[in-house]
Amino acid sequence: MKVFSSIALAVLTLASVGCQSKDSSSSTANTSQSTSSFLVESEPTGAMPVGEARAKSEDGQEVTLVGLIGGSSKPFVEGLAAFTIVDPKVPYCADDEGCPTPWDYCCQTEAVKENIATIKLVDETGKPVASSARDLLKVKELSTVVVKGKAKRDEQGNLTIAANQVFVRPGK
Amino acid sequence: MLLPWEYGVRNLARRPVRTALTMMALATVVMLVFVVVGFIRGLEQSLTASGDQNVVLVYSVNSEENIENSSIPARTPSLLTASVEGTVKRFGLSHASPELYAGTRVESENNEGGLGLVRGVTLAAPLVRRSVQLIDGAWPSDGEVMVGRLAAAKLGSREDELAIGKSIEFEGRSWNISGRFAAGGAAYESEIWCRLSDFQTVSKRQDISLVALLLAPGSSPAEVELFCKERTDLELRAIAETEYYATLQQHYKPVRLLAWLVVVLVSSAGIFAGLNMMYGAVAGRVREIATLQAIGYRRCAILISLIQEGVLLSAAGSLVSGVIALTVLNGMAVRFTMGAFTLRIDGVAILIGCSVGLLLGVVGALPPALKALRAEVAASLKAV
Repeated sequence: MKVFSSIALAVLTLASVGCQSKDSSSSTANTSQSTSSFLVESEPTGAMPVGEARAKSEDGQEVTLVGLIGGSSKPFVEGLAAFTIVDPKVPYCADDEGCPTPWDYCCQTEAVKENIATIKLVDETGKPVASSARDLLKVKELSTVVVKGKAKRDEQGNLTIAANQVFVRPGK
Repeated sequence: MLLPWEYGVRNLARRPVRTALTMMALATVVMLVFVVVGFIRGLEQSLTASGDQNVVLVYSVNSEENIENSSIPARTPSLLTASVEGTVKRFGLSHASPELYAGTRVESENNEGGLGLVRGVTLAAPLVRRSVQLIDGAWPSDGEVMVGRLAAAKLGSREDELAIGKSIEFEGRSWNISGRFAAGGAAYESEIWCRLSDFQTVSKRQDISLVALLLAPGSSPAEVELFCKERTDLELRAIAETEYYATLQQHYKPVRLLAWLVVVLVSSAGIFAGLNMMYGAVAGRVREIATLQAIGYRRCAILISLIQEGVLLSAAGSLVSGVIALTVLNGMAVRFTMGAFTLRIDGVAILIGCSVGLLLGVVGALPPALKALRAEVAASLKAV
């Protein structure tokens, strides 16, 4: 009985180690592939601010827009490569104000409503990539990004970009 | 050579009153430790049991972490189920539970009442809240409510005041109690559930507080969260139920830390009480200890015998406290801001309580024993 238990334990350990290494290798490959395909070295031209994009862009149109990652206390969707950006013209709390989450634009909630867009990084099938954008793009809250992709508009005026190119402006 | 085991045991019996008093003091300290650890474990268990990893809560982004402050349009559930693919759907019925949740003053027949937690639900609620079990009576119909197992504790009422057939009053209306439910220790157990439409009518509200969605295997809460981000006009936020209660755990972290501090303080106080008792006990036995040394017993053997006495006493005290904690304290309802929960004397609580008890025995016996052994044998033999 003892021998059987030991063999079973050894087999289970080997199986779990095997599974882990397979998963991690595929995950790594997926991430590195996604990183190279979404992040671009040079900034796409003709980027318009989010507010302007909300006013001018149409459903299905290819657009390039610029904004700061933020708009809520948690602008990133955990588990999916998606986040919200806000028009750079909307001010956020200055560093010296001591606000712990300036990216939620808590003093500008009304302005944010008309100057926010959702960005999702999509694969070939149009589905959001199942990885956090924070890790994928090496960005954080209030990073300035220029994204290029297809706009999705609805009757309520919401703007979502199915992005295929992201440029992260150096700086904050 | 060690002193015989019986020597220590008989020594305890030689001074029965002192022994009984010391044991009671130790048992009281251990009991206090059980109460505090039981409180912490009960709170943790209540928050852990409340979260279902397949359930996502959707509520207003403006309500921060407090669902009671949330107000979202009543059409949100249909909008969500139509837009988010991952919701479980069986026999054409989506597992989405619209709920109106509020804290309100609840009065029972013979009680002035207290602040109760009322949840207006539909028949979809048990499909999503899978831990909820109707343990007695029936699902509420018009003008009826069902009460959770700990609702009486939350209201500060007696159990019989919330028995089936009795009535309670809230939001200016009398409600008959049709049933009782349990939820495996989850936070809902301190709530009162009624029909959503009834609660909306009496509270003059057309909105709801939240939608709870049961996700199909393979679906992720992130999909619902993405929908909420995309539909910024709805001002919704989505959070996995387990994450929501983990946030509450963080919220109550200072309370838990304070409780652990109480454990340390009570244990320290107990050690000092034990030291005091043992100093008294050993001080009266200076001649006896010196005699033992004179007839050839080593100091180490005498020290072990004295520690044996202390440990025997504290073990007996821990045992008494353990039995009382398991039979009386375990499952006792405690009212708390978020509702009510039960004291939980589980394996961890028993381990901590008994460890503290045994530690009291060892640490309490050591210093006085060492002091007595350090004295000169000749001088000690002449001690009065």
